[in-house]
Amino acid sequence: MIRYIIKRLLYFIPTLLLVALLVFFMVHLIPGDPVMVMLGDNASPENIAATRNALGLDRPLVFQFVFWLGNLVQGDFGTSIQTKQPVLQSIKERFPVTIILTTLALLFSLILALPSGAMAALYQNTQKDYLFMIATVLGVSLPGFWLGLMALLVFSVHFGWFPSIGFVPLWEDFWEGLRYMVLPSTTLGLYMAAVVARMTRSSMLEVLRLEYVTHARAKGLSEWKVVAKHALKNAFAPTLTVIGIQYGRLLGGAVVTETVFSLPGLGKYIVVAIYARDYPVVQGCILFIALIYVVINLVVDLLYSYFDPRIEYQ
Amino acid sequence: MFFRRMLENRMGMIGLAIILVNVAVAVLAPWIAGDPLKVNVANREAPPSKEYLFGTDEYGRDIFSRVVYGARISFYISILSVVVATIFGVAIGAVAGYYGRWIDNLLMRIMDAIMSFPAILLAIGIMAVLGGHLNNVVIALGFVYIPRFARVVRGSVLSLNEKEFVEASLAMGTNDWVILWRHILPNCMAPLIVQVTVNLAYAILAEASLSFLGLGAPPPAPSWGNILSDARNFMLDAPWMTVFPGIAISLAVLGFNLFGDGLRDVLDPRMK
Repeated sequence: MIRYIIKRLLYFIPTLLLVALLVFFMVHLIPGDPVMVMLGDNASPENIAATRNALGLDRPLVFQFVFWLGNLVQGDFGTSIQTKQPVLQSIKERFPVTIILTTLALLFSLILALPSGAMAALYQNTQKDYLFMIATVLGVSLPGFWLGLMALLVFSVHFGWFPSIGFVPLWEDFWEGLRYMVLPSTTLGLYMAAVVARMTRSSMLEVLRLEYVTHARAKGLSEWKVVAKHALKNAFAPTLTVIGIQYGRLLGGAVVTETVFSLPGLGKYIVVAIYARDYPVVQGCILFIALIYVVINLVVDLLYSYFDPRIEYQ
Repeated sequence: MFFRRMLENRMGMIGLAIILVNVAVAVLAPWIAGDPLKVNVANREAPPSKEYLFGTDEYGRDIFSRVVYGARISFYISILSVVVATIFGVAIGAVAGYYGRWIDNLLMRIMDAIMSFPAILLAIGIMAVLGGHLNNVVIALGFVYIPRFARVVRGSVLSLNEKEFVEASLAMGTNDWVILWRHILPNCMAPLIVQVTVNLAYAILAEASLSFLGLGAPPPAPSWGNILSDARNFMLDAPWMTVFPGIAISLAVLGFNLFGDGLRDVLDPRMK
């Protein structure tokens, strides 16, 4: 297990480097002259030269990458062309919104998925199980942002139960803040709930067949103890991996959800930056989210070794 | 055998039926619907009626026609992007799995790096750079989905490498490409077909999200995401603009998901 953890940590570094390289090359993919695309056709020659110099585009590509990487390590994610603010500063201001949104979506999906998935496994091939399967296939098929729009129509516009758009930080007014997050986080989390629920069901089914569960039952343990204490812990390991992968989907989906509900998070920031052709912001935000995602998956993999110590690194 | 078991899979067959209806709608669009771009100022934001089944939008364009033509855009992008991802993914996965060692390591680390991004986010980044165009969406989504196919194929190739029929061909001195093409790839088909179907569902969702954000086919193209993006500004006055395109997306995705689940049950019970 320790060998696994060390190897997993070592393997983390090349992944980070490759992720950075991909983001770096993204801006170099811009057809034609990136500076012209950023500044538009009416830019003055001095302005063009200054921007090119600021972005380091007048130097060789390898040098640019190393230079950029060096800045990154020191926490310099670049400077916004529009606001001239450091990108990391703006990220820090907006990231809490995205983290609250995705964390609430995660909690919502787990609360919905784990019990229902486990129940469906216990009631395999009954009507309850079929209903569960239909619900999950709907869950992975309905687009989250459309559900968000529909929820706005029904619950905000028609019934007036929830505020339609906007954001109140949870640390300023917890309950009011939560009211603003109910519709965004549930509509964002529904897809994940369906995926995690399915995974829980199938890994529960596998575990329930094993001899140690039969043994626990034969010992006369109550069904609740067998399921909650013995089966669920083992069934959770594969589910955990799915949760890690799905968290990335939440981060990606947050871009769209934040646009639907006008939440001032990272996702909305990216979309606004794209319209403004503010590439350093787009680059910085995408890199930042990818880093968060890589770290989360690292943590998940390390946690996995707790739930399933037999794991080996291939 | 395969067809009989597939026919018995009720959910899978419902999925296939939905897909076929959708394809028919896309192909027959000019015969079912009117001009999706025709502006009719006198009939702005008209609610659903006999004349306008799904109502009209802020320019008086017929939503029904726009939704029907939207199926064309949706299928065009999802099918082509999955074709792109399949071609590159299969090639990369097969080479990585067959040759192993450093080639495998290099290729799969690159695939891991691509997978380190939330898929839609990477697609958003690529679209930001390439600019909104139908074919750019195909490139962006195609690129983002390559690793999924590469992984599936690599996994199958690794397990097939050990099989006797491959070793026998090797011993007979058969060319590597012939072994890959004639012996290994045909045996990867089952998981690959499942992956293609499931990714068609993902691609439809992703395309709708991209065009909702204004990063897909540029307006006035009647893509489902574009209609929803417009609808957002007229939710109070014209809620029908929001309802119908969403149902269309959901049905298209549902079809591929149901069919994909059915295929998985029949072709590859281990993946369940």
